[in-house]
Amino acid sequence: MTSPEQISAAPARPRTDAAPLLDVRGLGISFAGPDKRISVVRDVTFSVAPGECVGLVGESGCGKTVTGLALMGLLPVHGSRFEGQLLLDGEDLLTLSEAQWRKRRGRRLGMIFQEPMSALDPVFTIGEQIGETLRTHFRISRREARDRAIEALEAVGISEPVRRHDAYPHELSGGMRQRAMIAMAISCEPALLIADEPTTALDVTVQAQITDVLGELSARSGMAMLFISHDLGLVSQTCSRIVTMYAGEVVEMGETDDVLLKPRHPYTSGLLRSLPSFTQRKGRLPSIPGRVPRPGDFPETCRFQDRCAHSREGCLTRQHLLRVGEQRFSRCHRSEDLDLPGVLS
Amino acid sequence: MSTRNVSVRFPVGRGRVLTAVDDVSIEIRRGETFGLIGESGSGKSTIGRAIVCLERPSEGTILHDGRDPHALRASELRRHRRQYQIIFQDPNAALDPRMTILKSIREPLDVAGEGSRADRDQRARDLMNRVGLGEGFADLYPHQLSGGQKQRACIARALTVRPSLIVCDEAVAALDVSIQADILNLLAELQQEFGLTYLFITHNIGVVEHISDTIAVMYLGQIIEIAPADRLAEHFLHPYTQALLSAEPVALPSGMRPDHRIVLEGELPSPMDPPSGCRFRTRCRFATGICAAEAPKLRELAPGHRTACHHAETFRLDPNLKEGSQ
Repeated sequence: MTSPEQISAAPARPRTDAAPLLDVRGLGISFAGPDKRISVVRDVTFSVAPGECVGLVGESGCGKTVTGLALMGLLPVHGSRFEGQLLLDGEDLLTLSEAQWRKRRGRRLGMIFQEPMSALDPVFTIGEQIGETLRTHFRISRREARDRAIEALEAVGISEPVRRHDAYPHELSGGMRQRAMIAMAISCEPALLIADEPTTALDVTVQAQITDVLGELSARSGMAMLFISHDLGLVSQTCSRIVTMYAGEVVEMGETDDVLLKPRHPYTSGLLRSLPSFTQRKGRLPSIPGRVPRPGDFPETCRFQDRCAHSREGCLTRQHLLRVGEQRFSRCHRSEDLDLPGVLS
Repeated sequence: MSTRNVSVRFPVGRGRVLTAVDDVSIEIRRGETFGLIGESGSGKSTIGRAIVCLERPSEGTILHDGRDPHALRASELRRHRRQYQIIFQDPNAALDPRMTILKSIREPLDVAGEGSRADRDQRARDLMNRVGLGEGFADLYPHQLSGGQKQRACIARALTVRPSLIVCDEAVAALDVSIQADILNLLAELQQEFGLTYLFITHNIGVVEHISDTIAVMYLGQIIEIAPADRLAEHFLHPYTQALLSAEPVALPSGMRPDHRIVLEGELPSPMDPPSGCRFRTRCRFATGICAAEAPKLRELAPGHRTACHHAETFRLDPNLKEGSQ
């Protein structure tokens, strides 16, 4: 085990083997509040290699979605302030103009959301919406766009793609709409797909279908994915690495199996232990006391300190993301001393 | 509490009828937690609503302690149904945004006209403390509370009228895991303390296995399998239950996850026009001629374990099982 090495101040790259596709370095986001700036995300550092699927987990209000939106350049220009770097293929997205953003959004970066109904326009057919995306990024004819839209619908497992191409969103079921949204996102073959809770509103059987589709697409085209979810089961099944966020900070990172078996941050451990599958039937479920502080109320100490069973005096200072092993990071200065329970202990 | 051959139908215009619940007979014993799982559109919420008299069965009877609530006079029914409460998934929709938490919790007592105003306030405050909402929340409005706190308020409100049965319709579905664990613990404590019976409707198999004594699986308006909770996971006897269980993602390292997942093809058929015979046959890998010709009846294959599948005894022996989907 390597000695703890602080990576926040001088952002060392968490992965060293492959040049990352996405390299987020010390990302900070703050919004203009009524009387002061409110920092919602701070010092977020992680990377995604080409073709890799990385899971971003944490409870609501931990900054997962806002991080995803920042990666897509979808946060309001006025009022948002950014720090750090968002490197996609070495190019800092934070320095792009809106016109440059338009070239990349949808083309290099795709995003799918939890609620497909609000992401699809009800007055256009599915095919028209996919075609519009394609014709924005490629100089192709309408006929070609139609063919490629149908191909994309087929790729996501929509039966009768020709007929569905001309269907309106309300004519499709929830699972079909989610597939249609995925088809739109992948039609331009993005290098990175950001999937924000893509199956939360769906039944488990449909969820299994959708995650299979995403897995196949990633395997076939080498598309990388940032999978944002609060569902640890789903993330362990789909992602090779897990990044845990708490109160606007990355608190843990590592290979999925390693994080599940040996979490290195008390928050990740607490999340895993509160899943009902790991407690004897009818037994009392271990939960994490308290709740995630709101942005603006983040303490200057370790942000998890007041909910942590392992809190000591040394926890009353700001914590930095420490390297605690091969590709393993934790924002807890006690992680070397603690033997935190994972899913099997 | 039991239902006898209960069907609930809704007219959907042009003389067409949607059968949301079709000939369901279940028995829920006093003090037990009865889990009901199934996909959206399977009729699980409609059953729950019928049990608390929010929906009137088109056919069959609901028996509360051996009495049919719908045979009661309107005034008696009003008093009677207080014993049967329901908690919904979305506490935002269940709490009036213009009422303080205390008033929302007290409202059932106000309606019931029980005791003096001071007594009612006191009971509401006691219950707030009991569900872990300090009295400091009494004068707050719903928007000032988190999702978990709002759900606690809904639980306190359901308890005010001293119910014997509470239907929890996806009551923890919208909550983060840690909060979900808190609420499940609270529900378990309250069950002990007040001798409550729960009908727990959820799509989360991990949750339902954890808290239930008995689990019933619904598909397109019908119960297709029902078993003691500690039996179902290992000894399921219906291909749909198998698919549902295998689709549930578990947070286990790659080497320890179940080796295959059954991904069902297609979607739930329309309840307006269900398939003939066994309703699951259009998505079932084991379907044969008899499945289309004849609707399977629930058969008891082990003590307390009933299933509606023609091939219940044999499908798990099928060598194709290892291959994954159809």
